[in-house]
Amino acid sequence: MNSRNDKTDLAHRLILRAAQRAPAPLAPRLEEEWLADLGSRTGALSRLRLALGCCWAIGVIRHDFRVPQLAASGAAAAPKSLLGGWRYELPLLSRRTLAFIAIAAVHVLIIYVFISGLAQHVVASIPNITQAFVDPQLTPQHPLPAPPRTDFHLRPILVGPLDPPPLAKIEIGPDAPVLPDPGPRDSTDSTGQLPPQPPQRTAGGPGKGFPNTDDYYPATSRRIAETGAAMVRVCVDTQGRLSADPTIAASSGSRRIDDGALNLAKAGSGHYRPTLEDGQPVNSCFAYRIRFTLAN
Amino acid sequence: MGQKDKAVRMSLQTLRVLEAFLENPADELAGADVQKRGQLASGTLYPILLRLEAAGWFVSRWEAVDPAHVGRPRRRLYRLTPSGLARASEVFASFGRGVTA
Repeated sequence: MNSRNDKTDLAHRLILRAAQRAPAPLAPRLEEEWLADLGSRTGALSRLRLALGCCWAIGVIRHDFRVPQLAASGAAAAPKSLLGGWRYELPLLSRRTLAFIAIAAVHVLIIYVFISGLAQHVVASIPNITQAFVDPQLTPQHPLPAPPRTDFHLRPILVGPLDPPPLAKIEIGPDAPVLPDPGPRDSTDSTGQLPPQPPQRTAGGPGKGFPNTDDYYPATSRRIAETGAAMVRVCVDTQGRLSADPTIAASSGSRRIDDGALNLAKAGSGHYRPTLEDGQPVNSCFAYRIRFTLAN
Repeated sequence: MGQKDKAVRMSLQTLRVLEAFLENPADELAGADVQKRGQLASGTLYPILLRLEAAGWFVSRWEAVDPAHVGRPRRRLYRLTPSGLARASEVFASFGRGVTA
């Protein structure tokens, strides 16, 4: 043997080890055959590639020839072939077929999980985080600010209790005074005479049939658990309908929340409770707060 | 054509091996020679040689040299059998059908 076939050579040792794993009748043959082919290679990398290939090949050969079938003529006839009576049998299922079956089985399992409702148990265990709740601190209990004092003795403005709002998260905020509709009403006349008595004014707001806040909760905000409150200014006629597009009087800081509040305010047209003066509905503008919150 | 001839799966690598032998069907080739002609990796080549031999397409024999004299192991030489040659020719002829030159 030359130096390349020295038993300390890694490629040489790999081939010997691979050949030992071959089916017994094939082992001596493969060892000699592969060592001869190894001898025809000069580069160390080329020899190593051959040896590694033989290691791979032995796994395939063991798979192909895993079922020994002795020749029907008996054991005496078998040694005539160096295959030693081992006969190649086309595997019933190739590796590719087995891989395909395995992948298909995984898909079937996943589909079964969804169809059988197993996944629903998992979904049901996730708490619902989008429940609405009433924030008692934000219900419209605060009285409107008193009018500025003058030298005249004026009858105080009495604001009647608001109807219980159908929507828990809509309020008349403390910073949302009723804004008198400018124009048709003027507190003084040309003579400078004061009006005899200021009318008793009851602020308007969302009335019966006003849309549900949850229906206008921005989907993205709900998904990312974004909350906030926007102050919306609306002008309402005596029929509770919007007389102008609503605007944001105080932003929530979120464009999505603001847009949701405006959409809700528009959708509520016709369901507003008009401002009352001396018991009579009047055109007016007022601001109220719409809050989008998530329950725990 | 025996039944075992039909048991060989015709992969691209198997076709390359057959093509290497069909260059000159009378040649006896060792595994290293087939590798050079077919540009095949050893991990692929040797299982194919064994399958084709077991299926009767090839016969093989040891190189008629004395290892002690030449200082190396004997090479295993493979050759197409007549039935293997006919079957391989059929396979390539079937692939050639419909192909315009």
